[in-house]
Amino acid sequence: MLEINNLTVSFPVSHNHERAYQHPDQAPQNVQPEASASQLTVLNKVNLSVQTGEIWGIVGESGSGKSTLALTLMGMVGEALQQGSIKFKGQELLENSPRCWEKLRGSAISMVMQQSGEMLTPTLPLIDQIMEPYLKLYPRQKETAQRLGSQLLRRVGLDESYFYRYPHTLSGGEVQRALIAMALITDPELLILDEPVSSLDVRTKSDILNLLTEITAGRTVLVISHDLHTVKRLAHRTAVLYCGAILETGPAADCLQEPAHPYTRALVRAYPTLEGARELQGIRGEFPPLNQRPEGCPFHTRCTQSLDICSWQRPEPVEVGRTSLEHTSPIGNGRRQIACHRAGVLELLRCENVVQRYKLDKKQANSEPGNNYLEAVSGVSLTLREGEVYALVGESGSGKSTLGRILAGVDRPYRGEVFFQQQPLHKMFGAAKKEQSRNLQMLFQNSGEALSHRLNVHELVSEPLQIQKIGDPKSRQKAVRKALEWVNLPVTGHFLHEYPHHLSGGELQRVALARALVLEPKVLIADEPSASLDASVQAKIIKLLLHLQNERGFALILITHELALAAKAGDKVGVMYQGKIVEEGPPAKVLRYPQHWYTKTLTDTDTDRDLLIGDKTIPHPKSAG
Amino acid sequence: MRKRLGDYILAFLIIIMLNFFLPRLMPGDAISALYGDALMEMSPQTEAYLLERYGLDKPLGEQFGLYISNLAQGDLGYSYYFRAPVGQVLVGALPWTLSLIAISLLISALAGIIWGVEAAWRRGRKFDRASLVTIMLLNGVPGFVLGILLLLIFGFYMPWFPISGGASPYMDYSGWEQLWDYLQHLFLPALTLTLVQLPRNFMLMRSSLLAVKEKPYIYTARNKGLRDRMVRYRHAARSALAPVITRLGMSIGLLFTSVLFVEIIFAYPGLGNLFYLALQHHDYPTIHGCLLLITVCVLLFNLLADLLNQKIDPRLRELDARQLLERA
Repeated sequence: MLEINNLTVSFPVSHNHERAYQHPDQAPQNVQPEASASQLTVLNKVNLSVQTGEIWGIVGESGSGKSTLALTLMGMVGEALQQGSIKFKGQELLENSPRCWEKLRGSAISMVMQQSGEMLTPTLPLIDQIMEPYLKLYPRQKETAQRLGSQLLRRVGLDESYFYRYPHTLSGGEVQRALIAMALITDPELLILDEPVSSLDVRTKSDILNLLTEITAGRTVLVISHDLHTVKRLAHRTAVLYCGAILETGPAADCLQEPAHPYTRALVRAYPTLEGARELQGIRGEFPPLNQRPEGCPFHTRCTQSLDICSWQRPEPVEVGRTSLEHTSPIGNGRRQIACHRAGVLELLRCENVVQRYKLDKKQANSEPGNNYLEAVSGVSLTLREGEVYALVGESGSGKSTLGRILAGVDRPYRGEVFFQQQPLHKMFGAAKKEQSRNLQMLFQNSGEALSHRLNVHELVSEPLQIQKIGDPKSRQKAVRKALEWVNLPVTGHFLHEYPHHLSGGELQRVALARALVLEPKVLIADEPSASLDASVQAKIIKLLLHLQNERGFALILITHELALAAKAGDKVGVMYQGKIVEEGPPAKVLRYPQHWYTKTLTDTDTDRDLLIGDKTIPHPKSAG
Repeated sequence: MRKRLGDYILAFLIIIMLNFFLPRLMPGDAISALYGDALMEMSPQTEAYLLERYGLDKPLGEQFGLYISNLAQGDLGYSYYFRAPVGQVLVGALPWTLSLIAISLLISALAGIIWGVEAAWRRGRKFDRASLVTIMLLNGVPGFVLGILLLLIFGFYMPWFPISGGASPYMDYSGWEQLWDYLQHLFLPALTLTLVQLPRNFMLMRSSLLAVKEKPYIYTARNKGLRDRMVRYRHAARSALAPVITRLGMSIGLLFTSVLFVEIIFAYPGLGNLFYLALQHHDYPTIHGCLLLITVCVLLFNLLADLLNQKIDPRLRELDARQLLERA
């Protein structure tokens, strides 16, 4: 129905910064058809194909060009230079004359504009304004218009008493309802909703959302919003817009739950939800202003995995097959496309069916005949992506640490395979192995024992650099200081020459962390990094790890027995029980709606909760059957 | 609205009181003020007779009561210059002035509003800039200079229009001929008055519309596919009108000043001319009557503007027009 091809919209830099919209008549007629330096490109080669009956959600930060896209579809960007093509039912819109636009607007394509103050003309009664689009089409049918207008107003929840009211007596929500009715009166083929609920309070918002869900059913709709919840709620498919370029398209639920593009993921991460206990993370860096749009991939300046190529070549949209969710939209296929040179968020670490077992001595083996082995890890598969925190939760003895050691390449699994950046981890030799160990670091549980007591702080932290043969002594010293600053340790000469037994537990833990971080690894596997620390230091270290994750895109496997910590820090939580991951998912989901009985007992035995809700007996699963 | 009407009645009462008390507060006694320098030598008997005749020997309160009751009967005193009751003299002059004011007000308002809308809609483009220059030039010429210029050009060098009076004297016209004669005499004074008022109306409408033009509802209107003319007049101009109309009502006082000059220049037989003659001949009762009538007219026009505004702009039914003006 709607085909947008390579649409580029740029505005001339005007002397008097009047608003973007101008009447089409006022557009300079003979501009050069090429963007010059005095042009601000708002939309850059946008491609979008909307089928009849599809509901598309356009998401992105403010300034990403969402509204401009909508206004371009309405022919309301008069003075802007528009290139490419917009085909609406086979008809090229960009060649429209102002007259043609007037005909199209409000009849075939309707738009509910973003609320910004007085949306309705103050001098006309409400119903007169609602009827106008219809009367423009059928000037003589005043009665029909009246009938349709009142029907629609009732449908959006405004009864007779509202019909002859003037806009200044209406609330924001009522105006929004009226605007929706106004857009629907001509029964448009394409409906555009620009931020339909963003200016409303929570109650009104959910009312309007319900109304929209009902009204948009069966229509072709474009929903524009920075509010991910709105899009998730209304749209089948979504397109993620950044700096005027579409970075990801796909089924709305998939894209917003399992984002493939680094930008989408960052956006989702920054979005607050009621369920989320997780810290919000702003997207690193600043949104580039219009006149400083980066070359190449527009997101590369803020992306943690950008390559050289990202800064000069614009990535083309390619299909990705990541449809891990069972959910598929009722309309449209499950195709997902992303524009990324790295094919989306990188996979850093993956293990498949990892089994680890230890031979038991005879005395123990006898207790259960026929079983001479203890399976510490029995068939675990997990994936860790760039910039992700995977919190592995479980009681002691559940195999968490064993799994951690295997993932770090310290131990070799009995069966199964571990891949680091797509390479089998346990079949690496020489340079590759060295490279791997630089990028994959492990922070062991008992740092006091993990640090050699013969070396002082400086030697401890700089040792990995020496082994990796990175830099000269001077640059190493600098790196050591930096690493120590990261973990909030003093960098005085005195402290650098301290030996482990001089240090407190917390300090030791942080030295161990600095030692792991000095190599600037891609992945850190931290085994109970904060177990021996007091709450304040623990908070600081967790904050630091999350900050590094956001800034540098490094991924973390956090092994902990504390649910609260897992919920606070993890993007994903895996619950381990008897060597298996019994449940996995976003922390809010896992902890709120646990599926596995073991997770349920974990959440129920959370000490804080017991204190809050009093004693509660936990029925044992086995006794319960 | 009831409150607004109360305001007007209060204002009217204050005006009447001022009209009564002001001359009594002026230096000199009432008799010499009434008769001027002509009767400097007056015998005490005559003075006492006059005081009694005009009721000036009575206490102030009683005088005021008398004044009010006379006023209620339409008795404004006796003009010794025109040798007729003041009420009669005023009634004879009022229609001329009123028609002059009404026609010039109407035309200047309509022209100013339409011109202002069109200029604002094309802000910064040739039409707008040319309009601004023209208006500025027009604004720079004082009303009486403009009147004299028009009189010279269209009455004297190109004698298309009569140069004085409200109708041709000693002609026994009837029906259409009379109307035509009347219109011919009206043309130049009305044109002068129109041109005097036009710049203000234009500027006001233009700036008011410029503010409205950027309002979201204009985009809403355009977004639903309305013709440009519809957006411009039905949505934009109508919403921008309130300040203009308020100002129009408020400017009526000023308009009477202009009328004074214009009527004198064109020897038009209206209130202005009457006032001028009365001033020249120290005809105090007539001056008084003129002042009272003019203030009442101003008040009435203000009321009219208020009513009109509320008809056009529903927001004003609760809001003060002046608040809206400040907002715009």
